[in-house]
Amino acid sequence: MAAAGSAKVALRVAEVLETIVSCCVGPEGRQVLCTKPTGEVLISRDGGCLLEALHLEHPIARMMVACVSSHLRKTGDGAKTFIIFLCHLLRGLHAVTDKEQDSLISKNIQTHRRHWKNCCQWKFISQALLKFQTQVLDYIMGHYLSKHFLSIFSSSTKERTLCRSSLELLLEAYFCGRVGRNNQNFISQLMCDYFFKCMACESGCEEVFELVDDYFIELNVGVTGLPVSDSRIIAGLVLHRDFSVYCPADGDIRIVIVTETIQPPFSTSGSEFILHSETQFRTSQFWIMERTKAIMKHLQSQNVKLLLSSVKQPDLVIYYAGLNGISVVECLSSEEVSLIQRVVGLSPFVLPHTSSQYETCNTALMNFCKPLILRSKRYVHLGLIGTCSFIPHCIVLCAPVQGLVEQHKSALHGAFKMLRQLFKDLDLNYMLQASDQNYASSPLTYKNSRESTPLPEIVNGSMQSPYQGTVVENKGKLATIQTYLKVYSNFVVPSIELETHIPRSIPKMTPTDTYQTDETLRYLSLAKTRIVDDSEPFMESNSANSTTENTRIEISYENLQVTEIAGRGSMLAVREKSLEMCTSHGYCFSSIPAGCVLPAGGNFEFLLHYYLLNYAKKCHQSEETMVSVIIANALLGIPKILYKSKKGNYSFPQIYVRTLHAIQTHQPMVSSQTGLESVASKYQLLTSVLQCLTKILTIDLVINIKRQPREVYDQDSEEEV
Amino acid sequence: MSRLEAKKPSFCKSEPLTSERVRATLCVLKGILTSSYGPSGRLKQLHNGLGGCVCTTSQSSALLTNLSVTHPILKILTTSMQNHVSCFSDCGLFTAILCCNLIENVQRIGLMPTTVIKLNKHLLSLCTSYLQSEFCACRILVDFSSTQTLLCLVRSIVTSKPACMLTRQEIDHISALILRAFLLTIPENTKDCLILGKSIIVPLKGQRVTDSTVLPGILLEISEVQLMKILPIKKSDTFKVALFCASLSGDLSDTGEGTVVVSSGVSLENAVLDQLLNLGRQLVSDHIDLVICQKVVHPSLKQFLSMHRMIAIDRVGAALMEPLSKVTGTQPIGSLGSISPSSYGSVKDLCTEKFGFKHFLHLIPNEATICSLLLCNRNDTAWDELKLTCQTALHVLQLTIKEPSVLLGGGCTETHLAAYIRHKICNEPESILQDDGCTQTELQLLTEAFCSALESVAGSLEHDGGEILTDMKYGHFWSAQPESPSVVDWPDLLSRCGCGLYTSQEELRWSFLKSTRHPFAPQTCLPHEAVGSANNLTLDCFTAKLSGLQVAVETANLILDLSYIIEDKN
Repeated sequence: MAAAGSAKVALRVAEVLETIVSCCVGPEGRQVLCTKPTGEVLISRDGGCLLEALHLEHPIARMMVACVSSHLRKTGDGAKTFIIFLCHLLRGLHAVTDKEQDSLISKNIQTHRRHWKNCCQWKFISQALLKFQTQVLDYIMGHYLSKHFLSIFSSSTKERTLCRSSLELLLEAYFCGRVGRNNQNFISQLMCDYFFKCMACESGCEEVFELVDDYFIELNVGVTGLPVSDSRIIAGLVLHRDFSVYCPADGDIRIVIVTETIQPPFSTSGSEFILHSETQFRTSQFWIMERTKAIMKHLQSQNVKLLLSSVKQPDLVIYYAGLNGISVVECLSSEEVSLIQRVVGLSPFVLPHTSSQYETCNTALMNFCKPLILRSKRYVHLGLIGTCSFIPHCIVLCAPVQGLVEQHKSALHGAFKMLRQLFKDLDLNYMLQASDQNYASSPLTYKNSRESTPLPEIVNGSMQSPYQGTVVENKGKLATIQTYLKVYSNFVVPSIELETHIPRSIPKMTPTDTYQTDETLRYLSLAKTRIVDDSEPFMESNSANSTTENTRIEISYENLQVTEIAGRGSMLAVREKSLEMCTSHGYCFSSIPAGCVLPAGGNFEFLLHYYLLNYAKKCHQSEETMVSVIIANALLGIPKILYKSKKGNYSFPQIYVRTLHAIQTHQPMVSSQTGLESVASKYQLLTSVLQCLTKILTIDLVINIKRQPREVYDQDSEEEV
Repeated sequence: MSRLEAKKPSFCKSEPLTSERVRATLCVLKGILTSSYGPSGRLKQLHNGLGGCVCTTSQSSALLTNLSVTHPILKILTTSMQNHVSCFSDCGLFTAILCCNLIENVQRIGLMPTTVIKLNKHLLSLCTSYLQSEFCACRILVDFSSTQTLLCLVRSIVTSKPACMLTRQEIDHISALILRAFLLTIPENTKDCLILGKSIIVPLKGQRVTDSTVLPGILLEISEVQLMKILPIKKSDTFKVALFCASLSGDLSDTGEGTVVVSSGVSLENAVLDQLLNLGRQLVSDHIDLVICQKVVHPSLKQFLSMHRMIAIDRVGAALMEPLSKVTGTQPIGSLGSISPSSYGSVKDLCTEKFGFKHFLHLIPNEATICSLLLCNRNDTAWDELKLTCQTALHVLQLTIKEPSVLLGGGCTETHLAAYIRHKICNEPESILQDDGCTQTELQLLTEAFCSALESVAGSLEHDGGEILTDMKYGHFWSAQPESPSVVDWPDLLSRCGCGLYTSQEELRWSFLKSTRHPFAPQTCLPHEAVGSANNLTLDCFTAKLSGLQVAVETANLILDLSYIIEDKN
């Protein structure tokens, strides 16, 4: 069975998703209850979580969900906005294409059957979209929007210092979309307190974000049955288990970490222990006991009061630990061990091999070590002394039900992800509008013959890096080598991450396609569709020759897997004939500096909307105008939902008119909400949505296969050779 | 064969609360809960068609764990209550009923969920701050110099569990026992932090309730055969005890990951047994009187020990290890080799005792915070209920030590609180109206819904069709006998209010709880003499009730906030 995979279907799918998602958006959003087959009940307002829970069947819907989750992995925010924006874009496209069908299709395609004609038209639009994303968007962001940006750092001093009140505003706006209405303020305050308690110094905040993001599960404790307001922050680290033996100690407490059993085993793996007599057995047992005793004695002499073990220790070890006044915690997870190692800079204790040689072992000092009782369950509470910029603290999250604890956990985790993104610079690369519109040129020879840059990486990189397929930059050289990835945009989108069976369903795209446009550009594209790697399925269209009048770019990808050149990796060769072009383009590299924010409540959307409309007016090319207008209008979808329930002065039309007026007259914008939101994440969201849309538009047919998916072979290893 | 199966799409449903089915099931659940509430609550008999024993109960913990609910909303509600109960043991039914009432009342008035949640939160914070404030008239500070308040608290808990099937005298007996058991767990001399001991409940079914007793130390059950082997215990000042956590059964311990090759003619069993007997010899030379092992003791070793007039008791289980090591004052021994003399413990006295048809070895400690509560009841189901009740009471006492106050029970806290909130909102609504942007009408509607939810929890205490009233001075809860004549002479009909603090002989005016009445200011600041004079109060645990109130409102808010349910049917 085949269904036309056109934008119409996608629109229908997106509209269904939009209705579900839009009820959770913004400060007025409500909750959704998800039940799992295991009987767990989850409460969520997180878009990504909802979409996953739906287990959608429709291939296009699944593709959308895949796009959303890959976006979420990167930024941790914006799933709901993603769907709403996508839906509005599709709606806009749908409305426009009905009118403009004739004007866009050139004559020689009319010979094709109507279905294929449609596809080409969609493809054309998708190219325009990609072009927009790679050129116009960055340009507008860097040129117009940047003057409106606020910063989360207080600007009074030259040293950038984090402003607590702006961080609070930022978090408030974030949690407005994530947790239940009655807990928003509480959770954002908790997070803010937590962050400032953990941060040892201003400069180390990035390290704190990184650490908390990586070890978030280990840094919080969920307690059910208590009201949310009982959640709190406690100093030190809480391990999710009880002491095997606890000896109260104070003063100079040292800890040691072991990763193997302290009691030597009879035989190690791969060896044989031959017992000849009973005496031998007895002596070896005696030796084992004496060794264990000696090691524990040694630890005691080092003033060790706590033994952390990643494995279960035998009774004998526990007994001798107790005798020597050493508390023991067993069965730590590897994450817990590595967290402790990172926080206190402690490496595991290596057991001495001979009984005589005892060196001073690796120990770390700590403030206290005591049992902590939360809801009649016992935990280990360690007062570690952090050696890096992270001062260990734990969050105790309380809620009546586990589902709510999970919600708060994931919201907090997402917030740290978001902050981690915010504190990075985001580069924007765009080309200033040169006199001629020849864009498909990169004036340098970029030859990459061997394994140094395998093709999949470039494709992947271009799709996933925040630069979003503009320039792969090689900073080392003065004459920057630029693979102008926009070249791809003339062809089919390079990578589509889908469930395994979906790429199979996509037929080979028209092997050779010639476009004759009104402009004098002539593309000769050889679009080959290949599945590069079954285990990590992305579809790639290998494009070959592309010729313009004064430029000739030849990109040939040869994939090892497909061709027979074994052991060579992928080859990418960009040959460029006319080098004189290079002066005619001005490349701009600006960036969104770290910590850029805008007031929440649709300000970003309003601004971008305004500047895009302005841009569209100046545009010469019809499709560029069209795309800009569609995107500009689709942007309004988000504030429309935010102000849906408001009446009177705060209704959407009122706000819209006032805001636009404010922008025109260069006045500060009005906003009914007091939060802040990160510009970088908004920008990334926009590019992700545009990419998703281009993916959707380039699919012309969905083929439904009713067969078990074939075994997936991992062929990575062969490629590496 | 591949077991891969495509996941079925989930089932998505919007506005779940509006559906008739949900309302009906909520109503049924509420019916079950309200009818079990309080001392005169009706018992529920739960039996599983697939097996297991029948359980007769009126306690929330037993009810909620045995009920199987399928609808996600009910699941949220019941798990929330179960979590509360596992934290505080008490006030589970109060929380559940309040939550159901809130959902029902709010749905009836049909306000926007946004406003409801905001206002509920405000009302809740009014309640909690009042209950914690000094002028709160339904909170009593516990006076630890007398056991009066604590005894009242325990008695209220025991009384409120009718499925224990206790008579008045038995209630008094059990309450006193529970309190004594609790007091035995408090260490005599403490430094800065108080570490409570443990009361171990020892089952003795089929005996009279009044045979129940509390003993300091630990009772180890032994069979009659074992008893015969134990020779008459010689008298001495102390008895030396060796407590093993390692197995003494003579099995080979873990031999590592490699292979162990044993030459023919070498018997490891003998080697290990030799080791055990060596251990036995060491124990003899160290003059041990009692050997207790968590796991199994080898028969030969047992024989050896009894030959040397030692008592050996094995298979005591992991649960008893901690109390045992506390009673004997030692660390469990995990080694079969040389035992350091410091790891032996001691008990003051050792005797065998017989309760009912069971024999016990009684370990009497020198000084420890462990006691055994020997609990008797006529049959299994009543015993189970009584055991749960005792655990609840002991837990509540622990909570009360932490937070030394109690609340008035018998519905009086609820009606008083409702009166206070009504009055407060009626007189000074500005504080809430200012920062929320809702109208006065909305606030009044919701306050009414909130307060009547509280009041109908109190009303659920009355099951016999009697009239339920509240007085207009203190805002306490009164219930009158059914089939009373038309409203004539309330002071004669009513005797005491729900908690027993006030009598009807004062100059009071009453009004029906269900009727609308003008908000009045209930008298705040509890007079001290009133508390001192009344000796038979009904009291509730402060911590449990406060948290129950919060959890109930939070859960109700959560349920009211749901806009979709996504059910994964895989």
